[in-house]
Amino acid sequence: MKRLLDVKEGCKAVVKDVDMDEALKLKLFELGILPGTELELIQVAPFGGPIKIKLHDYCLALRRTEAYKILVEEKC
Amino acid sequence: MLKEIKVALIGNPNVGKTALLNEIAGTDLKVGNWPGVTIEKKEAAITYKDYIIRFVDLPGIYSLRNQTAEEKITVDYLLNEKPDVILNILDSTNLKRNLYLTTQLLEFEIPIVVVLNIWDEAVEKGISVDFKKLENLLCSPVIPASAKKRLGINEILDKIIQVYENKKFVQCEHFEVEFEKHLKEILKLVEIYQPVLLNLYPKRYLAVSLLEGSLKDNLSDALWQELEKLREKIKSIYGKDVKTLIIEERYGIVLSIYKQTVKKEPVNTVEGSLFLDKIFLHKYFGIPIFLFLVWLSFEITFKLSSPYVDFLNKVLEVVGIWALQILESLNASELIKSFVADAVIGGVGFVITFVPVLFVLYIVISFLEGSGYISRAAFLMDRFMSSFGLSGKSFIPLLLGFGCNVPAVYATRTIESQKEKILTTLMIPFMSCGARLTVFAFFVSVFFENQKGLVIFSLYLIGILVAVIVAMLLNKFYFKTKSEVFILELPPYRMPTLKYILNNAWVRVKSFIVEAGTFIFATSIIVWFLTNIPFGAKKDESLLAKVSQKVSVIFEPLGFGTWQATASLFSGFVAKEVVLSTMSNIYVGEELKEEKKSLSFQEGLNEIFSSFIDANVSLFKDLASTFGLVKTEKEEGEFKGLGSVLKESFTPAQAYSFLVFLLLYTPCLATVFAIKQELNSYRWMFVSILINFTSAWIVSFLVYTLIR
Repeated sequence: MKRLLDVKEGCKAVVKDVDMDEALKLKLFELGILPGTELELIQVAPFGGPIKIKLHDYCLALRRTEAYKILVEEKC
Repeated sequence: MLKEIKVALIGNPNVGKTALLNEIAGTDLKVGNWPGVTIEKKEAAITYKDYIIRFVDLPGIYSLRNQTAEEKITVDYLLNEKPDVILNILDSTNLKRNLYLTTQLLEFEIPIVVVLNIWDEAVEKGISVDFKKLENLLCSPVIPASAKKRLGINEILDKIIQVYENKKFVQCEHFEVEFEKHLKEILKLVEIYQPVLLNLYPKRYLAVSLLEGSLKDNLSDALWQELEKLREKIKSIYGKDVKTLIIEERYGIVLSIYKQTVKKEPVNTVEGSLFLDKIFLHKYFGIPIFLFLVWLSFEITFKLSSPYVDFLNKVLEVVGIWALQILESLNASELIKSFVADAVIGGVGFVITFVPVLFVLYIVISFLEGSGYISRAAFLMDRFMSSFGLSGKSFIPLLLGFGCNVPAVYATRTIESQKEKILTTLMIPFMSCGARLTVFAFFVSVFFENQKGLVIFSLYLIGILVAVIVAMLLNKFYFKTKSEVFILELPPYRMPTLKYILNNAWVRVKSFIVEAGTFIFATSIIVWFLTNIPFGAKKDESLLAKVSQKVSVIFEPLGFGTWQATASLFSGFVAKEVVLSTMSNIYVGEELKEEKKSLSFQEGLNEIFSSFIDANVSLFKDLASTFGLVKTEKEEGEFKGLGSVLKESFTPAQAYSFLVFLLLYTPCLATVFAIKQELNSYRWMFVSILINFTSAWIVSFLVYTLIR
């Protein structure tokens, strides 16, 4: 298992678990970041900025602190 | 008699909800705020066939779990206002996430019309939908539409009427069989322990909310205990908590509906948005491109509008002369003449000066927002802005502040987070605007001839520093409990239509004139009275002079405790543009009255017309100068007498301290009322004034003590 933050740019990954407090976890779930969902890490902002991921049919930006707490299985 | 239908527009953010409403209602759209929050409320009413259809555009949301302010507004509206029909707007290119909200909306026992918006793009992407099947699965009519192509608009209106007249609501039961059993069980429990709830809420919404535990108010203990038991039972069966389970169930429903009804043919086109992001979000080029675009927006906003500000001023000048002529022919007293010319027409003029710049700003903002770039800007600037407890979205409003604080405050409209919006709005007044620069430039040429640039630069820097300190303090001591996460959707790039952009700009400018405009106008009339009472008195005997005399004590430690300096600061509270003319009036006593002209109606019209031509000519000159083609000449030579008098009244240290104060205290009345309108709160308006005054006093004091 890897953290979403460590996934390489351009690689796909499947969500395994979200290790956050409940409110935030449910928020991500509702946006579709549920265990079993396939994500793609599209881009990483410069200077430690957020990351851009694609899931279902849309794109989302997350800060690194959040990306660190999403556990995934990398498919590359 | 026309029948009235109340329709609520609900959907995710970035699905073109507002564009669709714009297409339906045109400029009849009214913008305002929801009570008590900074969230925008849009309403429109149209007459169609034999009906008046009233639309309320609810805030864009991803869910109805009642967690954010936007979600609460929507849930409250659905439960209390009970609209006749819900118009659920979906982005056809992103159906999975969009349908999630639909599964929640189906629980309110209100008939729904589902609109697949942006259908034209979906077709281009090779998406096809089995509408019959989708309608069956959602128990609601489904209509493809496109605000951009004006597709499906009449169908939507007809369907609203049909659904309204039909009066029948069909409840879909989507959850898996076992889960549906639990919901029925809950309703039975309610019937036993607290049947009154059944009259207060839609059944299915009630059952789900009770299960999740999100509906807690006024529950009887017996019912709560039974619910706890049931939650424990479900947890042991499924091995996960109820809240997670419900979300998973809903996504299960969505994915199954999607699979049954949506087909996606692979199309041989490059995904445009992904390609554009490779450029705009590029590791090295992204930020330079962003800074260039921001600079361009800044130039466009202020350069494009300034010729029209001059033009409107000219119109008012002509109207003023006409008014005076009429008053003269009626033998009106000097007092009335001065009131009409200075207070009324001056007040209107002050409001109107902001109209061109706001109009252009809203065009720029609607474009940045509608095209999807504004989210990219937030993405790029997030790391930098997060050091001050803000996100990337605050950057553009703050930057606009250097041009004019008023449009900057209105630009905070693009910030969703309430906390961040308030913080940014409180920081904006510290961004030194163009009007302040005119005062700085004059003082610097009088006192600091040799270090002009350095002194002005130091003032800008002080403004930014104070803003950052204020933000950090507020974050630490006021907003400490409300830490928010940054989750930002990056919608596909889209070209907003010209009609949408212009409509949007006009609707907002209208609301500025009606709301903030009346306040600004009223206050400027009050200020006129203060400065002119008793009428005809000598300048050091006026009410203003007397009040300033009393107040000036507090400026003693800052080095400028004279009534003249204090009175100048009073006028600066109204607007920084008038500070120099007030000072010249007070210190030198020279009235800056222009020679009296008389104009016939025809001559007046000619002047207005020729000034309109001038405005357009100088617009092109300004545009050219933006790109370095033409140099605009500078005006100088005003306030000749003032400089030498000021040199006798201020030491350089006192002058600098005065400038620091001028920089940091309340920028102008218009900003104050813009803050009131945008934050929808008098409280924050006063907080802003207070923060500005205290920080101005403290910093001026420190600076004066240091350099004296």
